[in-house]
Amino acid sequence: MSKYIVSSSPHISSKSTTQKLMLDVIIALVPTVIASVVLYGFYPLFLLILSVGTAVFSEWSFNTITKRPNSTRDLSAIVTGMIFALCLPPVVPFYVAIVGAAFAIIIVKMLFGGIGRNFANPAVTARIFVMLCWAGVMTKFVAPIDLSDGANLFSYFTHAVNINLPDAITTATPLAVIKGATGNPVEGLSALDMFLGRIGGSAGEVSTLAVLIGGLYLTIRRVIDVRIPLLYIGSTVVFTAIFYANTDFVGEYVWSGLLGGGLVFGAFFMATDYATSPKSTVAVIIYGLLLGFITVIIRKFGSYPEGVSFAILIMNIVTPLLEKIKPRVFGQPKKDFVLIIKNKQAEREAKKALKAAEGGVANE
Amino acid sequence: MAKTFRRGTHPPTHKRYQDFPLNDFKVPDKLYVSLSQHIGAPAKAVVSVGDSVKEGQLIGEAAGFVSANIFAPVSGTVSAIVKLPTANGGEADHIVIDNDFRYEKSFLPILSDPTKEQIVERIREAGIVGMGGACFPTHVKFSPNKPVDTLIVNGAECEPYITCDCRLLLECAGEFLRGVKYEMKALGVEKAFIGIESNKRPVIDLLKKMCPSGISVVSLITKYPQGAEKQLIYSVTRRIVPAGGLPADVGCVVSNVHTAYAVARAIEVGEPLYKRAMTIAGKGVMKRGNFWMRTGVKHSFIYDECRGSVPEEATRKVISGGPMMGFAQATLDATTTKGSSALMFFDKKQTDVSEPTQCISCGRCIQCCPMNLLPKDVDRFILRGNYDEIEKLGVMNCIECGVCSYTCPAKRPLVQSMRLAKKEIKARGAKK
Repeated sequence: MSKYIVSSSPHISSKSTTQKLMLDVIIALVPTVIASVVLYGFYPLFLLILSVGTAVFSEWSFNTITKRPNSTRDLSAIVTGMIFALCLPPVVPFYVAIVGAAFAIIIVKMLFGGIGRNFANPAVTARIFVMLCWAGVMTKFVAPIDLSDGANLFSYFTHAVNINLPDAITTATPLAVIKGATGNPVEGLSALDMFLGRIGGSAGEVSTLAVLIGGLYLTIRRVIDVRIPLLYIGSTVVFTAIFYANTDFVGEYVWSGLLGGGLVFGAFFMATDYATSPKSTVAVIIYGLLLGFITVIIRKFGSYPEGVSFAILIMNIVTPLLEKIKPRVFGQPKKDFVLIIKNKQAEREAKKALKAAEGGVANE
Repeated sequence: MAKTFRRGTHPPTHKRYQDFPLNDFKVPDKLYVSLSQHIGAPAKAVVSVGDSVKEGQLIGEAAGFVSANIFAPVSGTVSAIVKLPTANGGEADHIVIDNDFRYEKSFLPILSDPTKEQIVERIREAGIVGMGGACFPTHVKFSPNKPVDTLIVNGAECEPYITCDCRLLLECAGEFLRGVKYEMKALGVEKAFIGIESNKRPVIDLLKKMCPSGISVVSLITKYPQGAEKQLIYSVTRRIVPAGGLPADVGCVVSNVHTAYAVARAIEVGEPLYKRAMTIAGKGVMKRGNFWMRTGVKHSFIYDECRGSVPEEATRKVISGGPMMGFAQATLDATTTKGSSALMFFDKKQTDVSEPTQCISCGRCIQCCPMNLLPKDVDRFILRGNYDEIEKLGVMNCIECGVCSYTCPAKRPLVQSMRLAKKEIKARGAKK
């Protein structure tokens, strides 16, 4: 044995680790968590803690039962738990958070091989799963707490097991309003309210401002591939403008579609999931554009007012196909499609000629 | 405007010692001169035990076209020919010379105003090889079978810690530039570019002042692997060496800075190549910096000279070359060669011992690969043993710069997988 460590080069490695990347995502989610508390009180935070706790416990127990090394230290379960809780409506029965977080970790993540192997974003898939299980609660949104009205930040705890929220405290999300609108879709809604989050919607998605602060942090720290959210948001804007071009309120549809739903949150925190987003430039462009396209199609023609989570799930599943588009190796010539087609044709003709010749021999 | 290539990464540069002058390193009593200091066939010994030799005398003769002459680094007596490990993991015959400390010299004749053929012949005679680390015999490079119009001198020195080329340029700029002129003449080209990373500002300023017509200094962005041949050619000329091709395919020849200096010495002084500038670095030793080092000095001698008061247990890893592409040493028995640009003694803190974890598919290896390959996919297929898929991924183009492994947050051994894939595919190709 040598007294020196012998290994093949490189002998140094960057400071970046999986744990640090996940910690960065957690930090980026903090403004959104704060916004949810300011808007809806402590109940969404309670759901978040439940969800994170369940996520970490599920991963730990899965590893223990299947005799795998403990992987919770990479913090990715916490990220999943947080993102899932933040895309729930602010008031849902507490067990929705528990079931969803467990589904995200065990079914979507761990059964497919753990971190980096999940076929779709666990949080998005879990959200869709609980939406199918509890459609009633998942489509009822409460209004932000109005402190001047005698309510306090703990008011919503009274509905912790309530499947049917009283109509008095519920409100429609901007996208639901828009879907039913006949005239001006944003009658009575203001862009500033939407930007700050003073609207009905999922706890973490309503405040575009808070999401953008986190998104900016992730971009500066180079944690995410910023092309994905930019392309997604950009293409949603463009497709909204195209699909609503025949109405008199194109501008209104565009900004309400941009700020009123879960688009910005989904674009920065869910569409950028490492395992389920493509890497090469061409694939990223297709991925971003199709995300926007599917979102707008569902919003306009689907029965749900919001399409972000479905769009992300669908594109997650398409990603392995997109990954087949390989980047061109440095120094390799550009693909000449005309030449390829010509070669294929020549090949086919040669085969035909060969067959004809063989046929001739057989005939003789 | 500083030029650059696409992708790559930014390891910490650690270039503190570029401000400290080159000193002569102490010469040991016994020197072990390797006969295999280059790529190609090992040289053939032309001295035998008991012969007395002079400094600069031919002791090993090139065996074939791709091979290089070896010279005695000191005067003295040949006391043995032994097998020793080489710094890059092989084994070779070493001629042992007992130093008589008289330094009697026996150089080649001086050439004044040499012709093209004379220069190439002198490069061959003087045993000059590419001194960036690969040690490819320079006379082969300077006999291209395709027309070339550009000489690129590689002064990027993109490896962390290494500063010997930088010092050489600052202290011997005149000789270096004349060396570049000789190289241009040998190739018959009109223009030459000297590519230098922008963290060597004083060098760029000095050379810009001194450059004769035809030679231009190109400031390059400090980024790893700026000094990789294909990346350097792209940075400087925007020409893309075709996959599987050589620089000559795009009319370029790349020469190392130190090689150009050695060419000037061989022509103007008649000094063959047996001495070079070398960086000693790492926290395992006290005496660090840049030194004139003769070939054939044992690593153990360098360590004893430099260690000072640092305890022996402190050194955890010994690397010949830079930390990105150098070779870790199991023992200190290997010796310095023409390609020894650096020797590093890393302590516990500098030694990377991170364990690989599961790939998170973040794509950093893909975003940073200067050759635009897919290291994470190769790694995945290697673990499955699926070589049919790997062959489609163009791994043979990998330059093994190590950027993928460096940037990986999961600390996966990606470049190691690439190497394995290359080896396996070569073996399969041979079978077919």
